[in-house]
Amino acid sequence: MLMLIRGSAINEMRKNPYLIVGIIIIGILSLAAILAPLVSPYDPSLIDSQGLLMPPSPKHWLGTDSLGRDLFSRLVYGSRISLSIGIIAMGIATFLGLLLGAWAGFYGKFSDTLIMRFADIMLCFPTFFLILAVVAILEPSIYNIMIIIGLTSWMGPARLIRGEILSLKEREFIQAERALGATDARIIIRHLIPNAIGPVLVNATLGIAGAILLESGLSFLGLGVQPPIPSWGNILIESKSTLGIAWWITLFPGLAILVTILGFNFIAEGLKKVIG
Amino acid sequence: MSQGHKVTGKSMERLLEVKNLKVDFQLEKQLIHAVMGVDLSVNKNETVVLAGESGSGKTITALALTRILPPNASIVSGEIIFKGNNILDFNPKQMSGVRGKNIAYVFQEPTSYLNPVYTIGDQIAEVIILHQKLQRREAQARARELLEQVKINDLDRVLTSYPHQLSGGMNQRVFIAMSLACQPDLLIADEPTTSLDVTIEAQILKLLLELKEKLGFSLLFITHNLAIARKISHRVYVMYQGKVVEEALTSEIFDHPKHFHTQELIAAYQKIGKI
Amino acid sequence: MILQAKDISKEFKVEKGMFKAEAERTLALDKVSFILEEFTTLGLVGESGSGKTTLAKIILGLVEQSSGEIIFNPEFIQNFRKDVQIIFQNPYNSLDPKMRIKDALYEPLVIHKMCSRASLKARAEELLKTVGLDESALERYPSQFSGGQRQRICIARSIACEPKLLVLDEPISSLDLTIQAKLLDLFLELKSKFNLTYIFISHNLGVIKYLADKVMVMRNGRVVEEASSSEIFANPRQEYTRELLQAAK
Repeated sequence: MLMLIRGSAINEMRKNPYLIVGIIIIGILSLAAILAPLVSPYDPSLIDSQGLLMPPSPKHWLGTDSLGRDLFSRLVYGSRISLSIGIIAMGIATFLGLLLGAWAGFYGKFSDTLIMRFADIMLCFPTFFLILAVVAILEPSIYNIMIIIGLTSWMGPARLIRGEILSLKEREFIQAERALGATDARIIIRHLIPNAIGPVLVNATLGIAGAILLESGLSFLGLGVQPPIPSWGNILIESKSTLGIAWWITLFPGLAILVTILGFNFIAEGLKKVIG
Repeated sequence: MSQGHKVTGKSMERLLEVKNLKVDFQLEKQLIHAVMGVDLSVNKNETVVLAGESGSGKTITALALTRILPPNASIVSGEIIFKGNNILDFNPKQMSGVRGKNIAYVFQEPTSYLNPVYTIGDQIAEVIILHQKLQRREAQARARELLEQVKINDLDRVLTSYPHQLSGGMNQRVFIAMSLACQPDLLIADEPTTSLDVTIEAQILKLLLELKEKLGFSLLFITHNLAIARKISHRVYVMYQGKVVEEALTSEIFDHPKHFHTQELIAAYQKIGKI
Repeated sequence: MILQAKDISKEFKVEKGMFKAEAERTLALDKVSFILEEFTTLGLVGESGSGKTTLAKIILGLVEQSSGEIIFNPEFIQNFRKDVQIIFQNPYNSLDPKMRIKDALYEPLVIHKMCSRASLKARAEELLKTVGLDESALERYPSQFSGGQRQRICIARSIACEPKLLVLDEPISSLDLTIQAKLLDLFLELKSKFNLTYIFISHNLGVIKYLADKVMVMRNGRVVEEASSSEIFANPRQEYTRELLQAAK
């Protein structure tokens, strides 16, 4: 990806506070997720029978839940779930979208009509309910969630890349490449996609945020990540019953989701400035 | 069409005198000296060509004359004396009185300088109303007259058309008509024919000279094409890297170019600028 | 002869109406025929709308003609995409802005397997030298070069294929006169050095006079007049040709 952002852009980044703040936030989050075992003071499933529903204290920085598990550790492990689902789901969506959108944009006519109408049909479905329906039929699992979110989010990237390619196709440098003897595949992969990818990257970043939100929602409803695996969404399940007595169980997972979404949005904002 | 003859000194009235003009502009972190001390003058009824290649500073000089520079450019020093007054001392109200009324422009890509969402008739009428405070109906009649003046035949069609529906040459005639609406003393034309076909170019040049004769304005013509200079001008200024490097009567420039850059330009012209 | 064009016509249809029922047809080329002799420069002259760029694209196979054929002499043109190249008018749009110059130059070498992987860099440097550019250009991006320099890079890229026929579509029109003069001399040099055949498209008659052996004048998709360069300039037969010459004087 760095290859797509030119060297001089590193300089531009310094003038780009959104990008920097966003990268810092997500950077810290990612580190926490990767180094979860090192960062969390406790095992997330460790039950402290003495300390059920304890408020934040020096022993448990963010308190404990109704089973006496350390909330901070659970949130840290939960970040692994959220980030990986978000990134992989968006990865699937973007890959599919690039494939279909590039094909539609480049070859046009029948392929274009076919693919775009298919996208239109999919966009008509309320995604959330579609996912609920699928999850109700299959068993809820991390992999199913990733795949289903990916399969229902490809339309955005597809439309974006199709639009960019439609306009780039007629530019002289593409015609020059054709004249030089470049094959269609070469033109699409080496020339069209690198020039068209800007908006798709922005969309993908926002999509990760969206996917995380989606997963949290599903998990909250019990249809996503199943306990005991901690996910910010399923930690929030407890908040329903403990709202008045254990504010920390509602606040901190919520805050985690908020900050993460904000981080990705900042990066997207910053990327918009970079691609110009 | 060659007008390299001498214009007698005594009857020459100085319309515009530019002294030591310096314009800088800010490009990211760099300060660029686009115009570095330019002197030039235009007399009444004269046709003067400002010749130079891209980057020579000729367009910035032209824009500076009515202070319509882009926001990152600024006039650092110098005097621009028009009809005896230094217009660099004018306040914004006085300046907008000068623009369009005393000094008018014609640019390179007429279609992009015209407003795409208004018809030609409406646009010309607007200019007239702005400067001459006529009623709408009178302004529209005047617009018609102006288009006749620039030898447009299909008047009704053109008046009700939008810029994108007309050819480049037609839009340039429209633009010239608009610029001459308020009978300016000086018309500054910045590469007005560069993007036009060669036969249309010939027509537009002929039109400009005829209008000049008829309406009595001075013409400051900016171009990189010396062939045009040869055809239409009395005097030529050659600009190179922000400075005027040579000034002479047209015939002198072609017969005895002194500065090396002028010689380069003349050599290129001899090679491929004429047939 | 290196190529023969026979009755090339091209019609463009612009679909109109909601159900694409009506169509506006424009005849960009109307039965254009000519023969191109090897090692010569054919000057194609015309104003906007004459169809000269459409003809160039049809010769390059970038646009398909509506009818007619282009026959290439297999003695000269064996590998079409390698032996026939084009230089476009706008140097600012002809290079991939995201690719370094070296990658742009490597591309034709790799596509046509012109040399080994190891000698790519050396060959690219050689090409740059041929067009008068320094090897430091390799690591840079197109945006760091002027119009004239970019055009030289495009020329180097086309020469990399070792073509037989080079179509030049107003390659210098958007550049300053002194740069134009320099590039024209480069074109002449390359032509004799590599035994090239040129189709040079321009609306500038001075340029055509300087370069072309034979001149073809086009207007509204048709060939108006075709003659040797000296004939056209000394003895133009058609009204339109005379008009063009008159305007250029």
